Amino acid sequence: MQTPNSDPLLECRQLRKTFGSHTALDSIELQVHPGECQVLLGPSGCGKTTLLNLIAGSLAADGGTLSIAGTVMDDPARGTHQPMQTRGLAMVFQNHSLWPHMNVEQNVGFGLKLRGTTSSQRRQRVMEILERLQIAEFADRAISTLSGGQQQRVAIARALVVHPRLLLMDEPLSALDARLKEELKSEIALLIRDTGQTVVYVTHDQGEAFALGDRIALMADGRIAQNSTPEAIYQSPSSRFVAEFIGSANILAFERRGDEIVLDNALRLAATNGLPANGHLVVRREDIDLSPGKAPPPDARPNGVLPGSVRHSRFLGDRHEILLDLDQGMRLRAFHRSALACGETVGISLDLQRAHVVRS
Amino acid sequence: MITVASAATRPFVLSWASTRLPVLLVAALLLLGAGYPLALLFLTSIFPEIMGGRFEGFLDAYRRIGETDGIGSMLWNSFAWAGSTTVVSWILGVPCGYLLARTNLPGKLWARLSLLVPIMTPPYIAALSYILVMQDGGFFDQLLGPMPEALRAWFFSFWGVTLVMALASFGYVALATEAALASIPRRLETAAAQLGASWGQTLRAIIIPLMLPALFNSGLLVFLEALSNFGVPAVLGTRANLPLLPAEIFYLVTSWPLDLALATALSSLLCLVALIALYGSRLLASFMGGGRYEPETPHQFQLGRGARIIGLAWFAGLFVLSTLLPYFAMLVTSIADQWQGALPSLTLDHYRAILTPGSRGSEALFTSLWLAFAAATISIFLGAWIAYVISRTQGWLRHALEGLATLPRVIPKIVLAVGLILAWNAFWVPVSPYNTVWMLLLAYVVIYITDALNYANSRLQSMDPALEHAASILGASRWRVFFQVVLPQLKPVLLAAWLTTFIVTMRELVASILLLPPGLDTSATFIFNQFEQGDLAVAMAMASITIALSSIVLVVFQIRSRPRAPT
Repeated sequence: MQTPNSDPLLECRQLRKTFGSHTALDSIELQVHPGECQVLLGPSGCGKTTLLNLIAGSLAADGGTLSIAGTVMDDPARGTHQPMQTRGLAMVFQNHSLWPHMNVEQNVGFGLKLRGTTSSQRRQRVMEILERLQIAEFADRAISTLSGGQQQRVAIARALVVHPRLLLMDEPLSALDARLKEELKSEIALLIRDTGQTVVYVTHDQGEAFALGDRIALMADGRIAQNSTPEAIYQSPSSRFVAEFIGSANILAFERRGDEIVLDNALRLAATNGLPANGHLVVRREDIDLSPGKAPPPDARPNGVLPGSVRHSRFLGDRHEILLDLDQGMRLRAFHRSALACGETVGISLDLQRAHVVRS
Repeated sequence: MITVASAATRPFVLSWASTRLPVLLVAALLLLGAGYPLALLFLTSIFPEIMGGRFEGFLDAYRRIGETDGIGSMLWNSFAWAGSTTVVSWILGVPCGYLLARTNLPGKLWARLSLLVPIMTPPYIAALSYILVMQDGGFFDQLLGPMPEALRAWFFSFWGVTLVMALASFGYVALATEAALASIPRRLETAAAQLGASWGQTLRAIIIPLMLPALFNSGLLVFLEALSNFGVPAVLGTRANLPLLPAEIFYLVTSWPLDLALATALSSLLCLVALIALYGSRLLASFMGGGRYEPETPHQFQLGRGARIIGLAWFAGLFVLSTLLPYFAMLVTSIADQWQGALPSLTLDHYRAILTPGSRGSEALFTSLWLAFAAATISIFLGAWIAYVISRTQGWLRHALEGLATLPRVIPKIVLAVGLILAWNAFWVPVSPYNTVWMLLLAYVVIYITDALNYANSRLQSMDPALEHAASILGASRWRVFFQVVLPQLKPVLLAAWLTTFIVTMRELVASILLLPPGLDTSATFIFNQFEQGDLAVAMAMASITIALSSIVLVVFQIRSRPRAPT
């Protein structure tokens, strides 16, 4: 797992990439240590795939440096750009990246063949990894006869069998249907932990990021907005963008006025200690407690309980998400264990101790 | 609601004959047009006297193929020639395709256009023009001084004829290579490179195997085109003392003593090779498989300065050889009056001679124009209807009809023409169009209807039958459905089919020369005959006019049918 004291396997310093006048990546600082799974998360167009391509070497950086295992791979200032053949990486693509003219065993064995293994060694290692991925029975099959999920397993086997220094995964699950996605997600998580494989994993799916990442780098507009552990990025988002992207948090502007705080210029609450003069309050849905039928009178503010009414109730399986109307047109989302009737009045208490503050 | 009500109140009462009528009609047309002539051709090759009603001499003609001197070597030469044309086309075309698909070569639009001109030029006109350049006292001698005899001997030999045919065909290979390369996604190469494969290893292990089907198919097309081409062997093969199959069949059918038996046997052989090659390749294609990918911008190799120059020089050299040289020879010959030293005095007399009303040239041109117009028009309507009926038929009948309909595309034109001669000359045909111009119209439609069929088919495949059902439910008759629902949707593809058919029939040589009644010419036979009689200038003037006319038609249609730019 995480060994912060070792030298980083991958190190990006002030990495920059431009396409014409468009700056796709800027000031990227990233360190990935051996055995870590680093997730690059973000909406489409945020630069995560470009960063992956820079690491892979299929694109050349325009500024900064990129080193793998201490060797400089990209240093445009010195004209250094090592071709991808020399980087010792392997990649799993979104889909359709298997060679259609080779069968499963030939696909997986290709990298070993390039490394000059004997055919019996090759056969043995290929079968081992195919068994590990539960696709040994397909060894002789043509690629076109496999389902999408089986093809992705082959693609993973092909990448893992050469023991790459770094495994790059570019949205490997996004072309699969929901059930297969869940299944393969947990399998990949086990696999990379068992093998101690260092991984850079690109996705736009928060669930995948949490399930797989030792660290998650959330990217926006060509920069890394925050890079930390899944727990830290969830509990202590560093900016409003991070808070909005990770989990559906309620984000409320606040201002401190004496021993009260004013939310969205409208609602007053007793202030807790340690709040700055103003900023945004990130309140997770699970940190809001609802008391049906116990709305306080409009002007009373005992213990920070706010009055509101239910606008909509959405069933999520294990709980319900309640959309609430408050005074002054303010809205909140909260979880509740049961459904609430539309229009029902509720008392709303925010757990300000657990709320996180991001500066404006 | 309304549709349901009318369907319920006016149910169709269909007898077997009326539901089957279109299918039966299509089957009859296809059998009469293509099936019957070909069947008769095969029968005649087996029973040479069958046209006289006698079953004597069983397989005699085939025995004679083995026994007659020269036929064996002629057959061998034909296959070797078509094979080497294919290989030379690969050598010329594959680098073009690679440069277009995988490099940042400047001026790709022009490079691509330069490939289209030789594809559009009839090979026999290119061959005639090359003769003007290379013959004793030709353009080479006039402009560059006496040609080394070794070069002249080389040109008027197997390899010269190969080169001319390859220059007419390499464009197909180039465009097919480009399309195949463009459809290979970059990640297939990236995956290999990341595992450590060098450029050469990736090329050998990934790109070439993935391109093989396209390379093979384009090669097969070139091979069959060369094997069944009549113009180049007839024009250049005879001068190079290289007898080739289609030209030999032609002489057997047209020169005294006629030998129909041998001609039909050789035709059957040619036909058999074409059928085996095409259906074999389909089998092989299904065997080789091949992936389908969503389109993606493929990786483009950044060319250095030197490589860019070499790439452009490659295209420029091929353009000079395949287009500039023959077109220069053609145009200059057509306006040359008399050669005095290096430069001729110029005249438009040859054009005047052709365009004067009542002259043989103007009559030939007019005959070609109206024949092409009629053939193209009949082909698209008949082709659309046949394609429609076939596409809405199910089961084995559909496969049978499809097979029959695609026959004329697979079978060499000269074979079809010989078959049509037999079919409409037989003693049991009461009224025959043979020896009239209508025979030629029939032949054009039979030969070129496959273009219309293909175009219509491609559109019909993607057309939802629900559109027709919607009209039928409202009570529209089958004819009404075809004319008012199906045909309007086919309009764009049929326009393209009309254009193709018009242009190819305008220049069609082999069927015309075999089937025209005496005393009548088309522009193609006029060019061929005038050239053979030594009237080079008039022949080249007619060639220029023919090419100009079809180019004008092409450009006009391109402009009219160009999709409006999105605003």
